Order: sequence, then structure tokens, then C-alpha cells
Amino acid sequence: MTYPSKSRQVRIEFVALLAACALFLSTVEYLIPKPVPFMRIGLANLPLIIGLGLLKEKEYMLLALLKVLGQGLVTGTIFSYIVLFSIAGTIASTTLMYIVYRFFNRWVSLIGVSIAGAMASNIAQLLLSRYLLFGAAARLIAPPFLVVGLISSILLGIFAQQFVQKSQWYNSLQEGPL
Amino acid sequence: MKRIRLGDIIIFLLSLVIIVASLGSYGSLSGKPEVRVQAEGREWIYDLSVDTIASFQGPVGATSIEIQDGKVHVLDSDCRNKVCIAAGWISASGQWIICLPNNVFIRIEGTTQPKPGGVDDISF
Repeated sequence: MTYPSKSRQVRIEFVALLAACALFLSTVEYLIPKPVPFMRIGLANLPLIIGLGLLKEKEYMLLALLKVLGQGLVTGTIFSYIVLFSIAGTIASTTLMYIVYRFFNRWVSLIGVSIAGAMASNIAQLLLSRYLLFGAAARLIAPPFLVVGLISSILLGIFAQQFVQKSQWYNSLQEGPL
Repeated sequence: MKRIRLGDIIIFLLSLVIIVASLGSYGSLSGKPEVRVQAEGREWIYDLSVDTIASFQGPVGATSIEIQDGKVHVLDSDCRNKVCIAAGWISASGQWIICLPNNVFIRIEGTTQPKPGGVDDISF
């Protein structure tokens, strides 16, 4: 990365701020009781959606990595095989969200980006559980898993879109220091 | 900046298509009730209304199932935890029992009659 050192410092601090948000939201999500463990809201993905408009490729990857580490730390799964699901889901969703945002920005709002990310994440995790854990039986959990992901991602997308449009902090960042 | 754009709707519809396609995984939930057993890399189909006992070989030994009075359960299995035996009887379409160590997957497909006035199994 070839920024002047001052600007680079600001950008790294901004990544850290978003990562801290992800860590906090992971904690909030962990507190919410869920009927079935795989039903997740995906609150921790909010900084990843919001960061799309501000971060460069490498910074975005760094944020995704920090989110996986933070979430693993909070849920206590960082040294278990469950973290593989988190990694697979995060890689799939961030890659797709980045592509959709970068190349289809004109036609897609953050709502669409969020849905695409959730579907990518869920499908990656289902495939992983298909080959790692449950075998062919994994397809039985697919429909509820995908429906929950769709609903929660729409809500998160609406929030992110509103935030990006209305937040003065966000808009000042886009014009100013970053 | 518009709120909802064309691409959003396309992505939403694509997701719905994926979800509907994944619903197909439940197989046919209509038709004659039958027990489908996946084991030994193949699938067996039994009539739920015909009482039988059948045995399947898996990585850790044999797993035998019993069909009786329109219900099916795992009679005996050589696996360690016996979770499949503890799962008890299943009788409704969509229900399943899996013996993970022995790679046996039992599920019911087709239309099964709900017991008149019966209480949902998961109500409590």
C-alpha cells in the first residue's frame, strides 16, 4: 500500500474501529438466545457491509480476518473445528459482496449486497457440513437455514443502506480523511 | 440514491429460487408412505405399512431397523453411543433417524395420516 504515512495510519485505525464493532456485535449476537444453534442473525457482518464503501481490497480482507478471529474469541470456538465454518462463510460472503459492490454498484444497493453475502455464506457452510459432518443429510437443514439467512440479511441490508445514506460520520469519512 | 434497485430484486429472486430448490431435498412428501434407508452406499425403500425387520452393514457393524404398525425404529446397532436406538419410533413424513458412526440414514417420505387429536411431538 502506498499511502502517505499519516493517511495510512488513519486508514488502519478505521479498520481497527470496524473490527472492534464486529467484535462487539458478535458479543451481542452471542447473548441472543436461539432455538437452534445454526440460526444466526449475522450482526457481526454489519461492519463488513458498511466498510465496503470505504475500504480497499487488502484492508477489507484484513477486516474479514479480524472479524473471524473476534467472533471465534467471543463464542469460544476459535480453536475448534467450528471456526472452519466461520472462515468458509466469511471468505465466501466477503468475496461475493466485494465483487457485487465493486462491479454492480450501479444496479445494487446494500440490501442486495447483504442478501448475496448471506446466501454465499450459508451455502458455503452447508457445503462444508455436507462434506465434513453430516453427509447427504445436510440437505435437510438447508431450507430453514437459507430462509433465516435471507430474512436476517434483508433486515441488516436495510439498516446498512439507511446508515450509509444518513450517517454524517460515514459521509464525512468518505469525503475527508479516507 | 434510490433505496431498492433492480439488482436487489434480482438477487432476492435468485435467493428465493435457491431456497425453493433446496426444499426439493425433502423429497416427495406426498404419495404412499415409505421408509427410505441409505446405507452401504445405496438406498432401500420399504413400505411403512408392511411390518419387517431389515439389517444393514456399515463401517462399525450391523444396524437393524424394525417397521411395525406404521412406525419405524432402530432395533439394534453396533455403534458406540446408540443415539439411533434412543431416537425411538418415527412415524410421520419428514422425520428421520441417523446413525452417524455406522452411516445409516433412515427417513420417511410420502403422506402419513396425523393421529386424530394427536399432540405435536415437540409441544411441551
